[in-house]
Order: sequence, then structure tokens, then C-alpha cells
Amino acid sequence: MTMIQQVLLELESDYHGRPYHVSGHALYRALARRVDAATRSSVAVSHGVFVPGEHGGYPDEHSQSGGAPYFGAGLRPVESYEDLFLFRDAAQRWLSASRPRDAQNTHDLRVHGGRIAFSPTVRFGLPQASRNSKRTMTWFVQFYLHDAGGSADSVPLDEDVLDGLRVGGARNYGLGETSLKDTQTVDLDTLDYSTLKDAERSFELELVSPYVTASEYPGADDQSVPWWWTPRPGGLRRRDERLVEDGDVYELETIDHGQVVGYGGPNPVETAKSGVLRVGTHSRYGFGEVRLRPVSEDRVPERARIAATREAGGGER
Amino acid sequence: MTEPGSSDKWYDQPQSPSTEVRPTVERLTDGGDASSSPAGESGRSKRGEDVSIVSVYRHDVHKSRGRSHENAVAEFAGVPVNEPVPLGADGDAALLSRPRGEPEQSVKNHSSPFRLSLVTGETATKVGRIDDGIGSALADLVQVEDPVEMHAAWLDSAVVSIFNESVYYPYTSLKFHTLLTAALVDNYRSGYGFDELYLVVDQAEGEGDPQVVPHRTVVVLPSFALRITGEPGERPGARLGAAPAQSWADVWTRLPEQPLAVEERMGRVIDAQLRRIRSWSTALQFIEESIGWWRVLQRSSRLRGDER
Repeated sequence: MTMIQQVLLELESDYHGRPYHVSGHALYRALARRVDAATRSSVAVSHGVFVPGEHGGYPDEHSQSGGAPYFGAGLRPVESYEDLFLFRDAAQRWLSASRPRDAQNTHDLRVHGGRIAFSPTVRFGLPQASRNSKRTMTWFVQFYLHDAGGSADSVPLDEDVLDGLRVGGARNYGLGETSLKDTQTVDLDTLDYSTLKDAERSFELELVSPYVTASEYPGADDQSVPWWWTPRPGGLRRRDERLVEDGDVYELETIDHGQVVGYGGPNPVETAKSGVLRVGTHSRYGFGEVRLRPVSEDRVPERARIAATREAGGGER
Repeated sequence: MTEPGSSDKWYDQPQSPSTEVRPTVERLTDGGDASSSPAGESGRSKRGEDVSIVSVYRHDVHKSRGRSHENAVAEFAGVPVNEPVPLGADGDAALLSRPRGEPEQSVKNHSSPFRLSLVTGETATKVGRIDDGIGSALADLVQVEDPVEMHAAWLDSAVVSIFNESVYYPYTSLKFHTLLTAALVDNYRSGYGFDELYLVVDQAEGEGDPQVVPHRTVVVLPSFALRITGEPGERPGARLGAAPAQSWADVWTRLPEQPLAVEERMGRVIDAQLRRIRSWSTALQFIEESIGWWRVLQRSSRLRGDER
């Protein structure tokens, strides 16, 4: 049994931290002070992805269908491998097109004494005349935990441990407050991996979080690009990251998230599971999360549909 | 899923610019591939060549008045506008920025041709003043006759960025929709299909400005330019994919090179936002606008450059 615990936090105040995601390390540090030593040494934390609490519905690839007015404001059932990534994609493809999805999925910025922070709520639909028809949207942070020590009894964590975590910078000034909105556990071994079981298919890997290739952290070895990746022409984009621990800063060299490479390994289902639990250096703190997808499946559902229509329309384009 | 009646109309009729009503993305529900129906290479170039690229830049100027193609006037400031765009490029460019199907009003209480800004949340007219007024600035822009100057004028124009691409999708930008349309027309005329196109980064070299390729460059900033081309050469580029759709975040995150200054926090903030935006014209407008906003903040020293 490989248990992960999904957690959804609601942002309560402005957030001043990494703009891409709340790092797993920040979440780990916030949790570590609230749990016993055994849990502290065994729990592994993913990066937290920002999710707008908005109207939306399941994209085609998911096991469920339909939608809800506050789709992003609660965790959704997880029955297949794809469901794990519903809220893990920065583009949040479940957002409804009948609302301004790009405005909902970009953060409102606030400047605090020269520091740029994200606002936890956004107001939409402001008619000059009517005071009461403003619509408020709140941001959430989705992440998950698992037990990397193997004992599997540190997860799930209690709700009161997860409630009231503070993340990001300027926490002593009231920034980065969160409250627990929802949590659920998922057994990775019982999920449906049928899209990855067809041996005829080829697969590609999407980097959900950066993959660390070099770290200043004591004892961390340099990593090369894994042999089971087949990078695309043009190469891989790299980005510097950093870990901050007790005031010490450790620079990390990473391969930037969001990129897609081919998959050249023999066992897609096993790779998919280890990709959820993350691979490489600092994987305990959220780095090295990868998602596997059949090459025939487009990341952009509308594009796949339009391409199919074009093809059906006749041979030449 | 295609009803030939509407989709074939554009292809079957002989060239008669300015009277033809072309399919718009609003009408694509009944003809999903209207803008992109199969067309042989030879037919394609023949049909494409006799429409001047200058008219492509003028094709949507009527949107500054919030008019649809059907109700638009044929002339503005003494030049023909609302002329059909060849090779279905307009429909393809529209699909890059707006969903397919019947348009829905996506922002309540805002059904105006003025764009809403993703940076400020305000109507774009409040952001900057247009010298000599909107009407005269628009007139100056559309009256340019030289194609290369026309492209440069659009890249540079502030007035067209205050309008949206559709009143139903107010965060989209008329400016970048038009530049994307021109880039598609130019690439299609060179024989490239949509699935052969790349988004390419042109970095500024030394003190000089980044390279601008007429009709292909879609946004230019002091430090870099973005271009849509079928011939990326040695430049870092990412494929646009098999068909036009709202896919900005997907293409941006796959670029092999990061054009923004991500060693500064604001660069990372803009990059993070761009990974969440799906509409192309909204995203290109956001790049231009947020980098301008960033500079203003830096100049007024409200921003710590080194802060991470």
C-alpha cells in the first residue's frame, strides 16, 4: 500500500513567496515544528500548486465527469492516475471557458514596501452602480504528503496539524497565513493506470516540479538527466532554485518544470508511481515530480479536438 | 460535425474582398473547421497572394467600435477595412485566444470593446493616454501603406492595445490578435501548415534591439522578441502543436530558453503568471503590459530589484 494524503489549504492573507508554487520545503518546515520526531524524519512533502476556487469541470481524461460552481475549492475524487494531476497543472485546464479563465488563474499582485505579494482573494464583475453584485474568488494551495521512511503510519497527518500553516516570506508580519480546507488519502496501488498499460503506445514525461541536477546542500550528489528521458530537440531549459534552512542558502541547479521529454524506460506504470512520489535529489521536498502521458494524448484538449476535426475534414491541411 | 453550408462558403466563392462575410470564431460551432478547411498548396497560394498583407492589419479595425463583421462598415479613415483574411488565418488566430463555439459573455457587466487589463484589472483606457485621441491615432495607423512599416507600426502601437478581440472575451487584445493573424498569413503563404510553426525567441544582442522579422514577430521588448515562424533555424523554439487552440501556457513552458529576467523576482512573477494563461493574445498583451508596469515601479523605486 502506497498512501498519499492530499491537502487543500485556503489562502487567508497575502502570500509573499515563490511565485510558481509553495515549495515543498516551506511546507515541510511549517509542518515539522508541529509533529513528533519520527514523523518529522519520515514524511515527504510535494510542492504546493496554486488553485483558484472557481467554477469548472473535469477535462476528458479524468475518471469523473461534470462540474461544480466551486470546483477548485474542494478536493475531487481520485480513481485513476490522471485524477492525481487535476489541480497540479499551472494552467488549471478544468477552469470553465464561460468565465474569464485567464483572469481567474493569474494572481492579483500587491506591493508591500517594495515586496511583491499575491492577494488571496480577487473580486470580479464590478458594476459601478450596484454595490452587491461583486463576486469574490479565493485562492487555494494543493499539495500532498507521503511517508518516505516506509513505516506508512505517519500519514495521514491530523487535521489540526495541517490547519493554520504559514508559508512564504514576511510570516511574522501576518503574510502567508492559510487554513485547512480539505484533505483526503489516496492509495497509489489501487488506482486505474489503464492509459499507461497499453504496451503498443509510447509515452512522454511532463515535469510537474523542477528536477534537481546539482545542489550545494551537504551530501547531495549531482544528478545527470535520467537515462529514461529522451529530451526533445532544442534542449532542456534550466533554472536556479534555492533551499533556505536556518538562514543558510543552498543554491540548486534544476531542469525547469513544465517541460516535456520523451519516455524511454521499460515500465511506465512503475515510473508513473515513482514520479508521483518524486525522483532525484530533494524529492522529499517536492522536487522531481513527473507525470506520464501517452504521446497520442494532447495536453491541450481543445487542440486535440480541433486537430481531429481538421483531419476528418480531408487529407490536406 | 461540420455543416458544409457555412464552412464552404468562404472557399467556394470567388475573391470579392470587402463584400464577403468571412467566418468568425463566433460562427465556428456550425463549422468547426471553417477557417482551416483543407486547401491544396496551389490553390492556397493562388488565393492568398492577391490579398495584400496590409489589408490583414486593417481587417479588424471595426472592432474598435464593438461591431461584428456583419454589421461593420467597409471603410475607416479612407481605407477599406473588414476585408477577408486569406487562408483561414483569422479564424485560426481567433482560436488561439478564444474558445471555439458560440461566444459567451465571460465578464458580467463588461460588454465593451475596451480591453480589461490582467495587470491592473481596470479598463485599458485608464492605463495610458493616447496622444491626439483614439480616433486620430487609429486613423494614422491604418493609413500606412507600406507593409513593413505597417507591421512595425502595429508592434509599436498603443492605441490598438486598448481594444479587445471580442467584447465577449474582454481580456483578449485586438493588437496581438492582428499580429498573430498576420504572422499566420505570412507563414501559410510560405507554404507552412499550422502544425509546422514554432514560437521562437529572438534575444537582444549586446546593446542592440532584438531582431524583428516583418509580419512574423508578434511582440517586441527591449530585451527580447517573440516570433512565429516555420523556419526556426538555430533559434530556441517550441512547436505550436497540431491545431490552433488556447495553448499559450503549454507552448511557453516548453520553450527551451527563458527570455524573461527570472533572476529578479518580478521576472519570476511574470513567468509564473504566463504559465497559467491560456489565451495567446491575452498572454502577449500581458507580457507587454506587465513589463511596462514593472519598469514604472522600478523607476519609482517601490520595487527592490535584488529581492527574491
